[in-house]
Amino acid sequence: MAAAAIHQFAECITCHAWSPDQSSETNALPLLPVLRSRSPLVGSDPQSPRAWRSSSAVIAFCPNNHEVHIYKFFTDKWEKLHVLSKHDQIVSGIDWSKSSNKIVTVSHDRNSYVWTQEGSDWVPTLVILKLNRAALCVQWSPKENKFAVGSGAKSVCVCYYEQENNWWISKVIRKRHESSVTSLAWHPNNIYLATTSTDGKCRVFSTFIKGVDKRGSQSSTSTDSKFGEQIAQLDLSSTWVFGVRWSPSGKTLAYAGHNSMVYFIDEVESSPAAQNLALRDLPLRDVLFVSERTLVGVGFDCNPMIFTADDTGLWSFIRFLDERKAAPSASKASQDWTVKSWYGIWKITSALQNSSREGFITNQIKGTSVITHRTQGTILGSGVLQVFKIQGQPGWKDSPDG
Amino acid sequence: MASSAAYPDADENLEAIITRIEQKSRKIETLLKQSKPVEALKTALEGSPLKTLDERCKSANWIVVHRAMMAIRDVDGMFNSLDPEYYDILMKYLYRGLSTGDRPTCDQCLKIHEKLTEKAGLGCILRSLADTVNTV
Repeated sequence: MAAAAIHQFAECITCHAWSPDQSSETNALPLLPVLRSRSPLVGSDPQSPRAWRSSSAVIAFCPNNHEVHIYKFFTDKWEKLHVLSKHDQIVSGIDWSKSSNKIVTVSHDRNSYVWTQEGSDWVPTLVILKLNRAALCVQWSPKENKFAVGSGAKSVCVCYYEQENNWWISKVIRKRHESSVTSLAWHPNNIYLATTSTDGKCRVFSTFIKGVDKRGSQSSTSTDSKFGEQIAQLDLSSTWVFGVRWSPSGKTLAYAGHNSMVYFIDEVESSPAAQNLALRDLPLRDVLFVSERTLVGVGFDCNPMIFTADDTGLWSFIRFLDERKAAPSASKASQDWTVKSWYGIWKITSALQNSSREGFITNQIKGTSVITHRTQGTILGSGVLQVFKIQGQPGWKDSPDG
Repeated sequence: MASSAAYPDADENLEAIITRIEQKSRKIETLLKQSKPVEALKTALEGSPLKTLDERCKSANWIVVHRAMMAIRDVDGMFNSLDPEYYDILMKYLYRGLSTGDRPTCDQCLKIHEKLTEKAGLGCILRSLADTVNTV
């Protein structure tokens, strides 16, 4: 399945996020290519964050500078709606909350802003993170009352909103990580936070905050823990690790190592059981659980990879999403739809629609493209937008829950 | 931590490792006399002292692996019977071989490297470069 559309937003995109779906449309978006990069991809920086809105396609991303651009897809082309500019340096992480419609951005300038939409403008609120190094990644918690920021200061800041003073407070998890925190993932119970770091380890912490989280409403293990308590430390890879995600139920944790391996761990809190999957090709940078048993991984091959678990829970690689493997050194001036990027795919996010069970996954390609994949329909990509049609494709196993 | 049965415990006594390697060496000589070079290579790769930091053990094992590797004539045939679990460790030894600079060794290593990359992919090379814990 080759990409169905390719749109180029910028020379280089550092991060992105999809906006929440606010309609119940389930039709496929028009699949039209907007632009195809013909200029050499210079630039040493990774992509900027982006966000994408499902059916009416709104996406926020950082085009490798200190701004955040929000684009909306109107019928046949993308239009810039807003430019959020408050940061002083590159915006390294964006997340768009699903129900409260807030955007949180973090930047190399060690600050974070929470943007709320008032009318047609986005109003920023500064969140003081108390960092002395760049912030690298950010994620809203499932209940959207907290967000976590991973930083180069070997720490993770968990921020929550204090109603009385009308501001966000940051609590820092220090002295646990030995190096930069590359990615974060919240467990569905809103308390456990998994982090990956360039020290090669994946850790799970409790982020229970009195007054914000409730004791007793969760399972006993998660409510007994204090803030910052390390639940588990997984030392499976001796290389940098990226892209940690929990499966939708929270039962499985997956992350990618820079040694071309993907690690799947079940039952992290009680008795971790790990599966190490060695990849044939170049390492992955980010993964995404499309369903409980299906995982998409993106990385330096510029070709998303699909992994599924069989009934016994054994994970294996199924196939690449794009049937034709893209070669990074191939000519750029081609009319085909494959992803051509010099640097690989950096990040994958999804905006799942609540009404239907279709989801959009965005792959952010260092350089120009972002690919969106719809799980049960077409896959739309942007950035250098690639659209993949996956209906009726053999090998795509749709599990009942997703 | 994932470690197959082929990799010994890091705490194993150094003397025990050396003894084991010597036993392997004798077994390999027998196998080579019986014209079973692939079996010999498998035996050499199995039980390699990857986790230990002692250079003597690693060199001793390298000599054994080198002996088995140089005896291989039919590289394609070798891959037909070599299990994928050996690919990563074979790749590590190939790079060790290439680093010696010795002409016949490098020739053989390059021949095997070409086929191994076809079979195992770039991920295998990545792992041999990135793995700083299990070294040969």
